[in-house]
Amino acid sequence: MKLDDVNTIVAKVFSMPESEITDESNPETIESWDSFNGLVLVDELENHFKIKFSISEITDVKNVADIKRHIKNHNVS
Amino acid sequence: MDDLKLDKKLKVAILSSFTLNGLNEILHVKCSELGIRYQSYLGGYNQYNQELLNSKSGLYNFSPDVTFLIIDVRNFLGDSFHYAHDISDDERKTLAKEKITELKNLIETFENNSNSKLIITTLNVPSYSPNGIIETKLKFGFYEMIEDINNSLRHISKNHDSIYIYDFRQFISKFGEKNIFDYRQFHLGDIQITFNFIPHLANDLMSYIKPISGINKKCIVLDLDNTLWGGIVGEDGFDGIELGDTPNGKAFVEFQKELLSLWNKGIILAINSKNNVEDAMKVISEHPNMILREKNFANIQINWDDKAINLKKIADEINIGLNSMVFFDDDKINCERIKQEFPEVLTVDLPNDPSQFSPILKELNDFHVLQRTEEDKKRGEMYAQQRERNKFEKSVSSIDDFLKNLNIQVNIKKSNDFLIPRISQLTLKTNQFNLTTKRYQEEEIRNLSNNEKFTVGCAQVLDKFGDNGITGVFIIAKNEKFWLIDTFLLSCRIMGRGVENAILSQILKDAKANGVDEVKAQFIPTQKNKPAENFLFDYGFKKQENFWVYKLNNEIKIPNYLKVETE
Repeated sequence: MKLDDVNTIVAKVFSMPESEITDESNPETIESWDSFNGLVLVDELENHFKIKFSISEITDVKNVADIKRHIKNHNVS
Repeated sequence: MDDLKLDKKLKVAILSSFTLNGLNEILHVKCSELGIRYQSYLGGYNQYNQELLNSKSGLYNFSPDVTFLIIDVRNFLGDSFHYAHDISDDERKTLAKEKITELKNLIETFENNSNSKLIITTLNVPSYSPNGIIETKLKFGFYEMIEDINNSLRHISKNHDSIYIYDFRQFISKFGEKNIFDYRQFHLGDIQITFNFIPHLANDLMSYIKPISGINKKCIVLDLDNTLWGGIVGEDGFDGIELGDTPNGKAFVEFQKELLSLWNKGIILAINSKNNVEDAMKVISEHPNMILREKNFANIQINWDDKAINLKKIADEINIGLNSMVFFDDDKINCERIKQEFPEVLTVDLPNDPSQFSPILKELNDFHVLQRTEEDKKRGEMYAQQRERNKFEKSVSSIDDFLKNLNIQVNIKKSNDFLIPRISQLTLKTNQFNLTTKRYQEEEIRNLSNNEKFTVGCAQVLDKFGDNGITGVFIIAKNEKFWLIDTFLLSCRIMGRGVENAILSQILKDAKANGVDEVKAQFIPTQKNKPAENFLFDYGFKKQENFWVYKLNNEIKIPNYLKVETE
């Protein structure tokens, strides 16, 4: 369970090759990243890292880097 | 999957008061897997009132076959969801009345504008009340208010054929409010069922779609050793098998009790087992803890033959399609064999732990029916009689003697309120002896029955072994010159006894008595109705262009070994 797993999970949820996922990837660059799939991503990340995000963490996410920053706050490195 | 290959079509409308993403997609996949061509209409978010009340709405324009109205208690009560705790008992009573009237009005408008079946969810009763432990001591509390609304819904569905209730509280009690409702998803997007549970909801809703499409299962085929009891009777002996008493033994008894309940509701049971007949039958007839006995089985195949051959034999002898059968066997290899040979059979893989058999059986959503007729309740008994008939058939030398000795009586009846559900049911599920395979919902049969230009009738068949119930249906479109047989079908369990000739003769006699010159009929071939292919020709109908025609100046034959009575 490490922070790098985030890219793998993002790629899986949005059905993309992992190589195309960067810290800058966001709902503008990933077509299938809509509000619903965004929640699916939250669910997958929570199950994988065994954490719970708050609503403000979820709504604050603008790109993959934001996701990693919030996961770090849950003591994952 | 290629949608065009699917032979059944279903138009489904989903109206909901909250965000239900994913449900439509899952239903689409599940329907396609079953060979149903799925078309859907999704009402806008929380727009169900507008959709239902406006007769020009997208919903009515879509003209659905089935409509799911999925409402949640929060959006339905609006602000009152929280304030209803703070008002007086009488005010709550008034609120309940208002809300019930609102629902009744929606339902009535829907019925006036659509022929679709309507499935409405009951309201969930939240697990929390600020009144705490004295909530139930109130004269008319919040919980009671919601239950009052739910009871009214149930009451409406009892009195309306096309309205069904989906008990949302059962869904919550199965999976748990804490799992289904997530405050974050709720505040983020008014999601009131977390998306991990949408597949479970879809599964429950398929319980309605399957019988509406006429693809429910009718027969359960069971292995014996390690399926109906623990151990192998041929090796462990009568006293050595586990049934009753031990924890594992209790699990087998529980499984048998669930099977018996289904049998009592009209599901056919059969045995397909590799065993010594004497060993196995001794357990079935004599074991003190056996729940299912010989009379519960419509067909028994206990031998050392290939299970696939036995299964085919059961289907042929009971005379039902393989696609309406479920196969239970603890042996993985047997299951693989059936899956490979007959993919249309629903093969259930049983785990090693028998305590899971009963929950697995209860998870299947394949046995639902839209209405239960008298025939359904008596079905088990009828098939046991059928087994006796077959024994009798083997003991008499010629088929003519056999038929004569059966003392068959055919009672021909006109459609009436009591018969309409059964008539519709037969048109929906009869595939083999069916000239046109036209499917009619109850509402349609009711309309045809009230139309003077049509005759809707059915036939009850009795013989020396008992009452076969209503097993034949005919629908005739009439004009002054000729009658056209729109529908003519016979339940498979009475095929081959001349009953079809008796019914047809009666129709021809009636036509002649009404001064009509000829009766026209059609045979529309399907993959399954080969048994009816030569019926019209054999009877003496002549092919004229697209129709089979019988001139009524010809003699009308009536089989002499049957007694026919009309009302």
